Amino acid sequence: MDHLDKLENQSIYIIREAYKQFKDIAILWSIGKDSTTLMWLVRKAFYGKVPFPALHIDTSYKFNEIYEFRDEWAKKWGIKLVVGKNDQSLSSGMGPDQQDKLSCCGQLKTDALKQTIDKYRYKALLLGIRRDEHGIRAKERVFSPRNKQFQWDYKDQPPELWDQFKNKQQGEQHIRVHPLLHWTELDIWMYIHRENIPIVSLYFARDGKRYRSIGCEPCCAPVDSNADTVDKMVEELKTTKVSERSGRAQDKERAYMMQKLRALGYM
Amino acid sequence: MIVVLAIDALEYTLVEEFNCKNLKQRFYGKTNIKEFSEPKTMVLWSSFMTGKNMEKEIVARGDKEMWNTELDMEDTFFRSFKNPKIIDLPGFSYIKEQHEQERRMLKYYFDAQSEEEKKNIRTEYNNLAFLHHRRIKQEFSTALQGDYDFVLGYFSVADVIGHLNFGNGSMMKLIYRDLDEIAGTINHTLIVLSDHGMERVGIFGDHSNYGFWSTDLKDLGNPKITDFADMIKEIPEVN
Amino acid sequence: MNNENLKFVIVGHVDHGKSTLIGRLLYDTGSLPEGKIEEIKQICESLGREIEFGYVMDHLEEERDQGITIDTAQTFFNTEKRNYVIIDAPGHVEFVKNMISGASQAEAAVLIVDVEEGVREQTKRHAYILGMLGLSQVIVVVNKMDLINYDQKRFESVKKDILKFLLDISIKPSYVIPISAKKGDFIANKISKMNWYDGPTLLEALDIFKTKESANYKPLRFVVQDIYNFDKRIIVGRVESGVIKKGDKIKILPSGEETRVKSIEEYLKNVTEAEAGKSIGITTEDKLFIDRGNVVIHNGDMPAVTDRIMANVFWMDRTPFKIGERLMFRCSTQEVSCEVEKINRVINSSTLELIAEDATEIKNREVANIVIRTDKPVVVENFNKIEELGRFVLGREDTCAGGIITEPEQ
Ligand SMILES: Nc1nc2c(ncn2[C@@H]2O[C@H](COP(=O)(O)OP(=O)(O)OP(=O)(O)O)[C@@H](O)[C@H]2O)c(=O)[nH]1
Ligand SMILES: [Zn+2]
Repeated sequence: MDHLDKLENQSIYIIREAYKQFKDIAILWSIGKDSTTLMWLVRKAFYGKVPFPALHIDTSYKFNEIYEFRDEWAKKWGIKLVVGKNDQSLSSGMGPDQQDKLSCCGQLKTDALKQTIDKYRYKALLLGIRRDEHGIRAKERVFSPRNKQFQWDYKDQPPELWDQFKNKQQGEQHIRVHPLLHWTELDIWMYIHRENIPIVSLYFARDGKRYRSIGCEPCCAPVDSNADTVDKMVEELKTTKVSERSGRAQDKERAYMMQKLRALGYM
Repeated sequence: MIVVLAIDALEYTLVEEFNCKNLKQRFYGKTNIKEFSEPKTMVLWSSFMTGKNMEKEIVARGDKEMWNTELDMEDTFFRSFKNPKIIDLPGFSYIKEQHEQERRMLKYYFDAQSEEEKKNIRTEYNNLAFLHHRRIKQEFSTALQGDYDFVLGYFSVADVIGHLNFGNGSMMKLIYRDLDEIAGTINHTLIVLSDHGMERVGIFGDHSNYGFWSTDLKDLGNPKITDFADMIKEIPEVN
Repeated sequence: MNNENLKFVIVGHVDHGKSTLIGRLLYDTGSLPEGKIEEIKQICESLGREIEFGYVMDHLEEERDQGITIDTAQTFFNTEKRNYVIIDAPGHVEFVKNMISGASQAEAAVLIVDVEEGVREQTKRHAYILGMLGLSQVIVVVNKMDLINYDQKRFESVKKDILKFLLDISIKPSYVIPISAKKGDFIANKISKMNWYDGPTLLEALDIFKTKESANYKPLRFVVQDIYNFDKRIIVGRVESGVIKKGDKIKILPSGEETRVKSIEEYLKNVTEAEAGKSIGITTEDKLFIDRGNVVIHNGDMPAVTDRIMANVFWMDRTPFKIGERLMFRCSTQEVSCEVEKINRVINSSTLELIAEDATEIKNREVANIVIRTDKPVVVENFNKIEELGRFVLGREDTCAGGIITEPEQ
């Protein structure tokens, strides 16, 4: 088995464990490359079926391409789609230009997800996060409990060894399952390439720009790139070190920081 | 000689994490600054040297003008010393041009459009702060050799660098080690004090709602920043 | 260079130089992102300090926090021979659970010992865990040789101590190498100051190690994970060792029923066999009652089917275990309730002192040799024969202990 085979087989094992352990499970499908790769692996694990719902958190500010892609492939793959929206916030006018981006994301993404989990009483969620995405994620486990407030106590997690994952979930907790934890961004692209996984066109360069991560249209800045095929993307990744999330996350932090510094009289 | 190491934004949790023994001394802890609505540098240091809550007065000057505050020796506890030396303290002997330039660049950074530009400004900003730090270090060490009965050295590096780099642990670790070494060179009665600490916002740093203190004299518990004026006055003069 | 990866951990007592060594390995093999060292140098210079390699790790950690793709839980470098992955295993006592989680994935280990301090508490605990996890490829590096002027006598005396202690726990290190992580001596480069030492450098020694050999050549163990009935009945699971082929005559344990493999099922693929490591499905000629936790084997080499197991366990939960308490025994996908019939010995994992014999309690970070009685028979193996069925965890709500089977009793 080569490197990608190993990753694939390990992920399938994890997905099957999660499905066995938790009845009320769903996959969080942001339509991004990671969660779509995860969806692909789910279909492999279950011989073409997706035996649980796919949750899509809709901020209503997503790129049009995302909605189109979602509806097209949900249909083709026979996916039961559950769309979560924070209707209350949206109807009260929340949006990225309404308030700072931090509260916008908080309400339209995090709160919407909380509400949806509450409503459908999911006990476990499959997520496409990777260890190499962000510092704190290095400490993530494959099966990671979250309390109702989504808090994660990373200092005192049960050990996870020999593929024995946490399989009990208590009270209000839900378990986040991370079958792609060991993959890198490059692995994802190489796998997409090998398997020919359909991917939202936003990732591919148009007029010298492409999106490295996708989310809400107003909050995503494209990066300079000429990679208009998966091939070129893999090549580009092997040679660049630009932060994947830097665009999105840092913008938010900057906005918050500016507000704070102003309050402290610095500017 | 009594020495006060006044460190802006020295964060209790980092002193612990990096185990800065000299900064900790025998007794150390957090200060209580809950009486202030915001942990503002100028408000806190002014309150420290006068021994009373100066929030209203300082805030009334407005965000721009407040940085120009220059209190009179007579209004501070420094007057109880014969020959005090106060280096760069906000509200007293603050080196305005330097710190004004730092604030200006902080604003440039957030106003800058491109990543490239931001990167350059950050580098320039850091250099400016480090350069000043070396200068104050020098001045402070000279003062320690001098004929003073009270020396206060104000070190802004942790705050200034922290605002744009607090998430850069290795940079902060190096700064804390450096400050710890400075504390280690002082062979007099020493009080380490910060106005507030700092907490992380991604790569950036925001003020936290408590300060830091330490001394070899006695356990102060959870003191207010205004408690120090009286306390320091009452330290018996040794040597 | 071929495409194989060797995963290893660096363990040792706090401050003996783990971070410095990792920084040095990355630097000497040219694996640091461009400009990184310069950046750290620059901060050091701004403050008028000398550069320390330990900062490299802090710095990488930060980079990643800024979103740059560097994984310090898994740090990579390569030599001419192959790729290496350093698995992060934090040194502090509180992190022993993380250390175990990390080390359980490693194929080799480097144990670092400060030449001035010698063997310390965590040196022992970590070494013990390595032994328990069955890591047989171990290198000892004796660090900070520069501090003692590369003195051979002191090195030899520390080496003697270490070897004696390792012998007690049956670890035979392949090499004991004097190094200075700080100066870079005997990491990648030899230096003349230690011409009394004629062994390999650390990198040379690592290159001699073998990557985990494929389990394809071991007897077949296909462990059942689940039964799916989407379009047809498929028995899914993972081939833990051996190779399973269409048409193979197979036996299901623990029932002992026999049948043949009708097909190997992989989505959208036409395959007739599956090797070790594959998560696949099978269908069988006869419709047997098969359930999660069953083990499919070829006739011949049998694992043990038993309800009594002798094992060494490492307790890692704050709440001690008291005899009489029921626990879950989980080995591969088998999960049964069990009790501990006897605690033969309890050992302090840091001093390795015997705490008690025929004990009634096992506390946090203690190691014990115990006899487990499971409620139902399980299919297990001596750890040295087939790891995947020779290791298990014990749990309450969460995993409390990891263990390896020394003797599956028939
Ligand atoms: N002289 C000398 N000092 C060293 C050497 N290796 C490490 N050190 C020093 O030893 C101290 C501890 O080194 P680290 O690499 O931080 O130790 P560690 O084992 O990673 O410790 P933790 O990160 O706390 O687990 C640092 O001050 C290093 O500079 C060496 O080869 N020679
Ligand atoms: Zn301040």
